[in-house]
Amino acid sequence: MKKMEYIRSVLDVFARSPFKPLYLHASKGVETVKILDQAVNAYCTNQPLVEELSHQIDGIEHEADIIKQTIRAQLSSSIMLPVKAEDLLNFLKPQDSIANVAQEAAYMLTLRPCDMPDPIKTNLCELSALTLETVETYEKLVDSLSEILETSFSKREVDESLVLVPTIEEMEHRVDLIEKDLLKEIYSHEEELGAVGVFHLVELVRTIADIADKAEHAADRIRTMILRR
Amino acid sequence: MIELFNPIVVLLVLAGLYMAWNIGANDLANAMGTSVGSGALSIKQVIIVAAVFEFVGAVFFGKKVTSTIAKGIVPIDAIKAIDPNLVAIGMLAAILAAGFWITFATFYNLPVSTTHSIVGAVLGFGIVAVYQDIILLSDINWAVLTKIVGSWLVSPILGAVLAYLIFSVIRVTLLQKAENPYHIEKKFVYLQIGTACFIAFAHGSNDVANAVGPLYAGLNALNLAEATVPIWVLIVGGIGMVIGLATWGYRVIETIGTKITELTPTRGFSAEFATASVVVLHSYSSLPISTTHTLVGSVIGVGLAGGLAAVDLSVIGKIVMSWIITVPIAAFTSALVFVALLGVGL
Repeated sequence: MKKMEYIRSVLDVFARSPFKPLYLHASKGVETVKILDQAVNAYCTNQPLVEELSHQIDGIEHEADIIKQTIRAQLSSSIMLPVKAEDLLNFLKPQDSIANVAQEAAYMLTLRPCDMPDPIKTNLCELSALTLETVETYEKLVDSLSEILETSFSKREVDESLVLVPTIEEMEHRVDLIEKDLLKEIYSHEEELGAVGVFHLVELVRTIADIADKAEHAADRIRTMILRR
Repeated sequence: MIELFNPIVVLLVLAGLYMAWNIGANDLANAMGTSVGSGALSIKQVIIVAAVFEFVGAVFFGKKVTSTIAKGIVPIDAIKAIDPNLVAIGMLAAILAAGFWITFATFYNLPVSTTHSIVGAVLGFGIVAVYQDIILLSDINWAVLTKIVGSWLVSPILGAVLAYLIFSVIRVTLLQKAENPYHIEKKFVYLQIGTACFIAFAHGSNDVANAVGPLYAGLNALNLAEATVPIWVLIVGGIGMVIGLATWGYRVIETIGTKITELTPTRGFSAEFATASVVVLHSYSSLPISTTHTLVGSVIGVGLAGGLAAVDLSVIGKIVMSWIITVPIAAFTSALVFVALLGVGL
């Protein structure tokens, strides 16, 4: 039951802003990728940290899920937003995938001990680092939404933010290139790695690269949301 | 002066004070809470500002709407000619009924307006008078009543349109041109102190009538007041509202102020200025309207102009429901109380 208070108020008209939890959700995603990057480095140097880092990611991913659910639950049809609610939910989905995919990648690290030639290790770490950078740039984009709202969609703020979208796309493209090189490299070592080793590494590389893909996808949706409102 | 201690007059004053307390504790607090939410004023400052301007608005600009509540709807002169006591008792029934309904609605957090309650309650008294063949159904001033009810529909919409325009102008000319929007917000903090005064003044000028309209009607019927509202009647209303604000309203302001953080100074200014303008316009036109509903309309207007991160439009349905139920309930309760008071031979 509602708490009995002798109050009649105008508060009902003010709905919770979904934008703050959206930023929080994005930063949870970035956090998982940060830890994933640590885990990849630990994996390549055979440190026993991987299991623990993977657990940490599980926890953060769960927190992100809860935030996502709250945002969805709050957006009933009577809520009026300065953007289309549909567009907002459309970017929430790929944004949520960032943590999901990072979780998957971290889990894969725990499945097999590291056994690969040094050039692959170097490239794998590079892939992970650039993916993290992409996701961090994406976080900046989400953060800039508050500025856009504050000025109520001033052209300058919108332009300043949207500049980040092609940057993210460019970074994602570079991740793609590293991914392709890595796959070639892996197959060129198929004798040493063995079939299971190749399979595991290919999956791992694809999964990590997929994170950057999700960030790019979400950034694209944000652009749509801002321009289409 | 001795006639003022007539028991019915004393009861009218007490019931009026109770109503005024409620208005100060809730409606005035709501109007002022928006200035606290954006950090323009502290709670202490807002109470001082509200007390001064509410009082000034009530005492110097509250006459017109008070006259409408007292004489505009039910032809008290015609009833007075038959029995002056009937008017006084009927008005006592009206203010008691409105007071009951407001108390109930406040406990259940219903967005009910004191204005709608008192108008419905006064109408209830008029309808009983018709049933008792004291006046004709056509004697009730339906034209004025229609205008009043029409203004309830128009005022929130007008608030929304005005707030939309004001915020759009601020947005295009200032926010979108500024190097740093936070500097603009800082400047609007000062302007918001002005609108806080304005909204308190506007509220006082319109809502004092809800508390003292029936008191003035009773005094007028008993020949204790002239054709214009005596200033002491308005002072009673003003004092009651300020006491309501000081003894309970500060809690309501705190609640609202801590929850409305979305309403930055530019948004708050737009909503408050629009609300206060619409309310003062209606006070000038002698029309009693709901300040709270106008404020809700204005906030939606700011939202429509893209100024708010999230606005819950389901509140519109709740407000419309409260319009539809308040008038009949207040009228019916008032009629019952009136018949009961006559029954006990007051």
